[in-house]
Amino acid sequence: MAAVEKRFGATDGHIRMPEGSLHYMFGFVDITGLPEEEIFGCRGKAQLLGPLLEAKVGDEVYLTLTNLGMPGRPDLDDSHTIHWHGFPNQIPLWDGVPEASLAIPVGRDFVYYYKPLHPGTYMYHCHFEPVEHIQMGMVGPLLVRPADFDPDIPAFKTAYGNGTGTEFDREYFVFLTELDAKAHHQIAIVQEYDWSEFQPDYWMINGRAYPDTINETNGSVFPNQPYHARIRANSGERILLRFVNLGYQQHAIQILGIPLSVIAQDAQRPIGIHGENLSYRKNVIYIAAGQTIDALFTAPAPGKYPLFNRNCHKNINAGTAPGGMVSEADIFAGTLPPQPGPGQ
Amino acid sequence: MATRNINLWAADGYISMPDGFSVYIWGFAPSAGARAQLPAPRIVVNQGDDVKITLVNGLPEATSIVFPGQDNVTVDDGTGPRPVGPRFDGSGNLISLTDFADYPGNPDGNPTVITYSFTAFRPGTYILESGTNPHKQVHMGLYGALVVRPADYDPGVPSRKTAYGENTGTEFDREYLLVVSEIDPELHRAVRLGQPYRIRGYKPRYWTMNGRAAPDTMFPDSAGYLPNQPYSSMIMLEKDEKVLIRYVGAGIENHPLHPHGNHTRVVALDGHLLQNGPYNLSYKRFTVLAEAGQTYDQIYTWSGIGYDQTHPIPTTVPNPRNLAVGDAGWTMWSGSPYLGEKKDIPVGVTSFNELGEYHFMLHSHEEPQITNWGEFPGGMMTMIAVYPEGTLGNAGTLE
Repeated sequence: MAAVEKRFGATDGHIRMPEGSLHYMFGFVDITGLPEEEIFGCRGKAQLLGPLLEAKVGDEVYLTLTNLGMPGRPDLDDSHTIHWHGFPNQIPLWDGVPEASLAIPVGRDFVYYYKPLHPGTYMYHCHFEPVEHIQMGMVGPLLVRPADFDPDIPAFKTAYGNGTGTEFDREYFVFLTELDAKAHHQIAIVQEYDWSEFQPDYWMINGRAYPDTINETNGSVFPNQPYHARIRANSGERILLRFVNLGYQQHAIQILGIPLSVIAQDAQRPIGIHGENLSYRKNVIYIAAGQTIDALFTAPAPGKYPLFNRNCHKNINAGTAPGGMVSEADIFAGTLPPQPGPGQ
Repeated sequence: MATRNINLWAADGYISMPDGFSVYIWGFAPSAGARAQLPAPRIVVNQGDDVKITLVNGLPEATSIVFPGQDNVTVDDGTGPRPVGPRFDGSGNLISLTDFADYPGNPDGNPTVITYSFTAFRPGTYILESGTNPHKQVHMGLYGALVVRPADYDPGVPSRKTAYGENTGTEFDREYLLVVSEIDPELHRAVRLGQPYRIRGYKPRYWTMNGRAAPDTMFPDSAGYLPNQPYSSMIMLEKDEKVLIRYVGAGIENHPLHPHGNHTRVVALDGHLLQNGPYNLSYKRFTVLAEAGQTYDQIYTWSGIGYDQTHPIPTTVPNPRNLAVGDAGWTMWSGSPYLGEKKDIPVGVTSFNELGEYHFMLHSHEEPQITNWGEFPGGMMTMIAVYPEGTLGNAGTLE
């Protein structure tokens, strides 16, 4: 049990799609530990996805949200919140729904407190005018480790605890969102958007569209899109995929040649009333908006295995294939060093 | 076992959206000469009841009702009961999924009043909807829900106040029915004006719970200003109570419904208890995809994690004047972190909080669906309100 102190800024920025187009966005940026005088410099540096929020069962998470304002839209004084999607028995104060508690205006801070009691894969997002703020990019991955998690002991490096059959060697998020370029453009130029016209141009995994999904460089190339979506493993290793859908559509993801064992949905293991393990195998993960699914696979023979959306019309960038929700699982013959952290 | 005689009049009418838009509908009316309502009048019967539903057609085309999940449905158009079946035209093309009541003045002289009968043989939540031109008539509003209580149902005995019978793990304290759908106003307008009905261009602009879009979803049953949308979608419970929430997917699309505050436990699908012999197959979810034509029975509860004035939260609540409360001009918040406590709300904000209850949103996570023609807030959204123990009275009864 530990205290996890984090501070996220809410601001705006730009993301890049593979053919070079830039899109105005809102999002979060990690400002944990930054001196106050440096925080102002993070305005306009929102990232997609937002920073990973990671905790262990029993931890006490103090998450400060600071509204840094929108330098790209100085007229826009929207408030922001953080909603931990799927937190059981939450109280409204920390639930982040402005209509049911409070939101954070420009220039203010607010401390959310979470003591997670259930391991699993979750998501967080802003709930202020959520149709706009989620589409604009205010989303992030969230995982809770089981209380007995120990990355140095294989039997305790698990998704749901020792003895649950959820041991893994490496873990990756497959975090699904869409981008409607017209919506982003309208908001950038201070125009209304009719959200019933929502129609994506790009489909992303971990905030990027193919082929950027498999580009492991970051920094200079993708200053605001820190997470690639290339799954790498040594043959024979157990790989945990944490699927999250925070888009507005239903998606069907498969890795050709690699069946998946579904070990949890919405952070709930499929177990019977008498404790029976009801995990099951699937080739395609069908996932609706606001759901999470955890799946395991054992890395097969070395080679590249394509990962894509079986709703094939989403494997494009602004109409051109290949693109969109495509990535790959790259399997090595034992040459990969251990994974330093999720998705790396 | 009783005989339940129910009359439904297929009629037209108008419903009202929160942005002021009026939508022309076809639907079921509860009495002769009344306008259609959305959804159909609720039908709640007991397992074993003989249910007789008489359909009186007042629409300009034939219409019917299908009862997915009911066995041995018969129809009587005045010549005696016979099993229902699909209807075909002279060339063998399907023209109706079931026997229909023809429209008044039809040249064939077919009956315009027919009676469907069945024995409600198993408990559960079921959809009922038009089986004639369903791509048009269901979307126009000819849909509703049927609830069958288990044979041993006894609201006075907690172990028998259940969705599926004693010892099925489906006990509840209160229950709510949410029939969800979408509205493409262009299609409704085309029907009103007698223009071609082009479902190929289907583009919903409103998303509804019990025929209303938010914030109307949170208004009470039988609100006077919503005369043809009588059903609230506000879910109210006391702390630690079990609430049975019945979803019915009456639209064309599937909707991922996400309740804040807790997971739900899904206990039945399409009126089938999730039970296989001795094995309870129920499961918990924080988002349930309510799919078209299907029903989902779930138990929701909220117990909290122990905060009250004597076990205070570990953070300080800032002065709400320094934060944003009620951006829309209204709030459901009490101003306090604690259940049952009301504190000040900034001046100029209307609080709909009654007793310091907690509000948790329940909404479609396809977020464009929580707008009214693109404007947030709206659409397929409501609140779950958790009240302090002993304060709620008898909210949450279905009759």
